[in-house]
Amino acid sequence: MKKFSIEMTVGLFMVAGIICLGYLSIRLGKLEVMGGNSYEITAVFSNSGGIKTGSSVVIAGVDVGTVKEVTLSDYQARLVLSLPMDLKVQEDAIASVKTKGLIGEKYVEITPGGSEDIIKPGGRLRETQPAIDLEQLISGFVFGKI
Amino acid sequence: MARRIGMMTIGSAFIFFLILIGLQEKVFAGELTEKVKDTTDKIIAIVSNQEMKQPDKAAERKRLIRQAIDERFDWEEMARRTLARHWTGRNDTEKKEFIFLFGKLLERTYLDKVEGYSGEKVNYEGETIDGDYGTVKVGIMTTQEKSIAVLYRLKKKGPDWFVYDISIEGVSLINNYRTQFNSIITKSSFQDLMKRLRTNVEEG
Repeated sequence: MKKFSIEMTVGLFMVAGIICLGYLSIRLGKLEVMGGNSYEITAVFSNSGGIKTGSSVVIAGVDVGTVKEVTLSDYQARLVLSLPMDLKVQEDAIASVKTKGLIGEKYVEITPGGSEDIIKPGGRLRETQPAIDLEQLISGFVFGKI
Repeated sequence: MARRIGMMTIGSAFIFFLILIGLQEKVFAGELTEKVKDTTDKIIAIVSNQEMKQPDKAAERKRLIRQAIDERFDWEEMARRTLARHWTGRNDTEKKEFIFLFGKLLERTYLDKVEGYSGEKVNYEGETIDGDYGTVKVGIMTTQEKSIAVLYRLKKKGPDWFVYDISIEGVSLINNYRTQFNSIITKSSFQDLMKRLRTNVEEG
């Protein structure tokens, strides 16, 4: 009886340990289980500037979401942005790909709009501004002012 | 004989059908492009007109260019999108004045550039329509053979389409002014923005 109880305790301890480990992995890895409390919208850019999955989505300099998927669709970059459920993005909001500093990492900035129509989960952010190709701008400046 | 006439009828019907397809393509391929092209051609005609280049005709020329732009641009939509979330709190008088001043600001900023037109070629590179929204892609060939990418964004209002944003080399005009105006309003107030716009317009 006593032996059984020790085995039970060890077993329970192990299970508790595994649950804790799972919880930590989900929290630290920012994994989403069962959809979580976020929703997704898509945005198509003519140039994504090499943005990667996991890049930040920013509003007024504050991290609000992440880039969940980057795919090529009709020779354009199609980004899936994951945003918190309580964040509303207006239909006339503008998403632009920007760079932190001159050569820093890329992120998506959303400039909120004023429309009363809100983009629904799974909807599309129509207004986008592609990443600015600095090299092209400099070459334009060097070889002929644009 | 009757058979021959029958064949001829079928033949001419076929040719007529081909012409119809051809015409349809001409009429319907690029409804938006046609609209943008129409306005652009009107402006080019005004700025290329030698008679209009006389110094005493400057005001008349400006008026004609503005008139051509007004026909295709939806100033209210542009102003609304530029002010974004600050638009809802404004009353009708403020909105009207803002639309006027914003139009004047753009006129002041861009009219000189339009008037400096020196035979640049305009290539229409395609359009997209998605419900009530559309885009027209244009490439402007400079005299140094460099192409500048311009994207017109249009919205359907009633039966017609109107421009509400222009992106030059990927930089959106609305986004540019939205960020600037938002920063001014957040730092001080809407009244301060209006004051600055008024001063800017008066100076011009």
